[in-house]
Amino acid sequence: MIKLTVNNLPVEIESGTTVLEAVQLAGFNVPTLCHHPKLKPYGSCRLCLVEIEGARTLQPSCTVPATEGMKIHTDTEKTKAARRFVLSMLFSERNHFCMYCQSTDGDCDLQLAAYDQDLNHWPITPAYQPFYVDTSHPDFVLDNNRCILCRRCVRTCAELVGNHTLSLEERGSASILVADNGVLLGESTCISCGNCVQVCPTGALFDRRSMYQGRKTDLTHTQSVCMDCSAGCQRVIKTRNNRLVGIDGDETSTFVDGMLCELGRYAPVAEDRTRVMYPMIRRNGGLQPITWEEALSVVSTQLKAHGSEDIKAYISGRQSIENLSAFQTFFNENFKVAQAGLFGKDESAAVSIALAREFGAFESTLDALTDADAAIILGADLVHKHQVPGFMLKRKSSEELNLVMVTEEENNLARHFTNRLVKVGNNFEQIIDLLACYQAHGECEQTDEIIANEGLRAHRAYRLLASIQSWQNPVVIIGDEFAKFENLESLKKLIRYAQEVGAKVIILKGETNSFAASLLGLELNPKFESSPVAFYALGDHHFCSDALEALKKSEFKIVHTSYMDAYAEEADIILPAKIWAEEEGHYLSTDGHLGINHQALTASEVQRSVSDVLSSLSEKSGLSLQSDWQAGLTEKVSSIVMAEPAVDF
Amino acid sequence: MAKPKVASDWLAGCAGCHMSFLDMDERIIELTKLVDLRATPITDLKEPDIDGVDVGILEGGISNSHNEEVAIRMRERCKILVALGDCAVFGGVPAMRNFAGADEALKRAYIETESTDESGKIPDDPELAVPQHVRPIDDVVKVDVYLPGCAPHADAIFYVLAELAQGRMPEVNKLTNDWH
Repeated sequence: MIKLTVNNLPVEIESGTTVLEAVQLAGFNVPTLCHHPKLKPYGSCRLCLVEIEGARTLQPSCTVPATEGMKIHTDTEKTKAARRFVLSMLFSERNHFCMYCQSTDGDCDLQLAAYDQDLNHWPITPAYQPFYVDTSHPDFVLDNNRCILCRRCVRTCAELVGNHTLSLEERGSASILVADNGVLLGESTCISCGNCVQVCPTGALFDRRSMYQGRKTDLTHTQSVCMDCSAGCQRVIKTRNNRLVGIDGDETSTFVDGMLCELGRYAPVAEDRTRVMYPMIRRNGGLQPITWEEALSVVSTQLKAHGSEDIKAYISGRQSIENLSAFQTFFNENFKVAQAGLFGKDESAAVSIALAREFGAFESTLDALTDADAAIILGADLVHKHQVPGFMLKRKSSEELNLVMVTEEENNLARHFTNRLVKVGNNFEQIIDLLACYQAHGECEQTDEIIANEGLRAHRAYRLLASIQSWQNPVVIIGDEFAKFENLESLKKLIRYAQEVGAKVIILKGETNSFAASLLGLELNPKFESSPVAFYALGDHHFCSDALEALKKSEFKIVHTSYMDAYAEEADIILPAKIWAEEEGHYLSTDGHLGINHQALTASEVQRSVSDVLSSLSEKSGLSLQSDWQAGLTEKVSSIVMAEPAVDF
Repeated sequence: MAKPKVASDWLAGCAGCHMSFLDMDERIIELTKLVDLRATPITDLKEPDIDGVDVGILEGGISNSHNEEVAIRMRERCKILVALGDCAVFGGVPAMRNFAGADEALKRAYIETESTDESGKIPDDPELAVPQHVRPIDDVVKVDVYLPGCAPHADAIFYVLAELAQGRMPEVNKLTNDWH
């Protein structure tokens, strides 16, 4: 522990703390711009200057380490004058006219700092040097004229996302932000995650779709959990007048520092399918509007008229646990239908549950990736699907992580790491045998043979295998390509190997709520077949070709959907559904964390949730829809799942 | 004691700050009890008294030789000069022109506009003011009170004028700082 004083107040702190952290711990505030709590200290803006007795000049508190006996003063005439001077310099360098910037009013840390320092004019005349504006990216705009060169974006891109797209070109006041050393953003290696936009303290990076849609103070912010994959990232939904304006990562979230990917941040805002505005029925060869009452009567009659063998019902994995539970109770328990399952081909959640019957709580949470020094990725695409867990690996330096990757298709995750063994294919057993052999003996007689058979790069394979006994925290990540029942035996062998060598295991479980759906007893990866009555609870689901083919061949087609899409075109009855933002619900992430999606938008009266529809239908049939999903889930989860977590109500 | 005399004028701005001044509504009556409102763009008298006023208020930045003359004259005739609004304080919206230059702006406005035919011509009458690099007022004359805002809120304007009328220097701090 170190003892020091801040504004004459004695404080005791741990060594390794910066002066800024010490000041904040002491309960004082120092203005910052380039500093961001999620990023490493940088010290480029000089706004956080403080006076330290004995120091020759004012010191940037964000980078100076706190030392024993320091006497720190945060609010002296000297620091005030220095901060005003720093701000004057920043304002004079480029175009920082607030009145035609979209980031004004709460969104701009530069403006807030100026208010905070009582700056009511700029003592230095601006330079009026024009810089280029990069509008080539579909999701956001880069305006170098608004940049204060704090490099928060560059550091986020490198330190948090690990994509290393952004950097600075030129020197001093001529510096500009560029992608890939001088490529237009829209043509660069940018993965459009938008985390740079979220951390930008000014209006240098801003969202195309939310710009000029309302200032921060005009917007309503609603806590939500992302439902574009099962990673369970926390996000904040920004709305105004019942309209979706934008989505931010939740900066208070401890999971991957509140990062989001393109799917979670931009895809929902870019949604442009046409909403279903009223229930419809197919009559005389066309779709005609009807009332909900009529629609529900027709559906109810059809369901009652057919025996359980004749009904097949499917629901989207994007639906909340509440809806999945209602669906399960209605179709499986009450109607005992031939099939009640999820859209999609991903059965990894069910495989995980099956494996748990033998291995108990064998899985780790995604946090295990933080300390991983080796990742064995089997059939998981962390570049396109579970992107944010991918960031947790990509952000490590090229020497920090040993990578073994077997995937059906090539992806560019491997290029981030020097020590790697990459195979494109659908068989991982030989590779695991090789790893196990090296783990046990430090060598393997069949190495050359396996390298040749598996098409590996020999020099890379040998280098990686040589390091295997030094791995401290290996993690095995299994994705949907291999987490299948047909691989159950090889998966068991794999988990035994992992447990022997002390490797953590993570199975990435398909869609948003596949895990919960499977725990509730819904079938994953069902074989889609036609049936006399088909009930499709699609909601805001995206396309699934097998399900559509089965729907086409079914006799009576009930489609509960938010959008007029290919399924709706086929329907005999269309029921208008709410979208994700229009109802509150729970989501169980791939590693057992329960998240709540709060309602951010209000649907029109005509759009109804799965639970609402099924509860009306239950009333008509005189059946009960009572189900305690929390109890059901907890009971099942506690018997099988995971080391640490799991359900946190 | 005689009521302090106040005069105002607008330069390269949009008149919005004067509109915001009017937005103080019935408080104007209160204000006129405290001050003698002299020349303003919205009263009959157009030039500040030749023997001087106590407070001069300028809206807008300096974008041409005429603005410059008006600013210098106001400075000469007032004891305390208030820069009212973002254009007067920072250069504001008209200062966007500086990124391209006055020549480019005139060419775009008078010749290249989509609705202009071949007869388009940049006005060059010698009586016209000469466009300049757009500057905030304090680039030309000394400013005593800065009141930024686009436009400054009526409450902020009332506060500043009420303070001045009562012989105090207003402090434009967080309460009245609103730049957008």
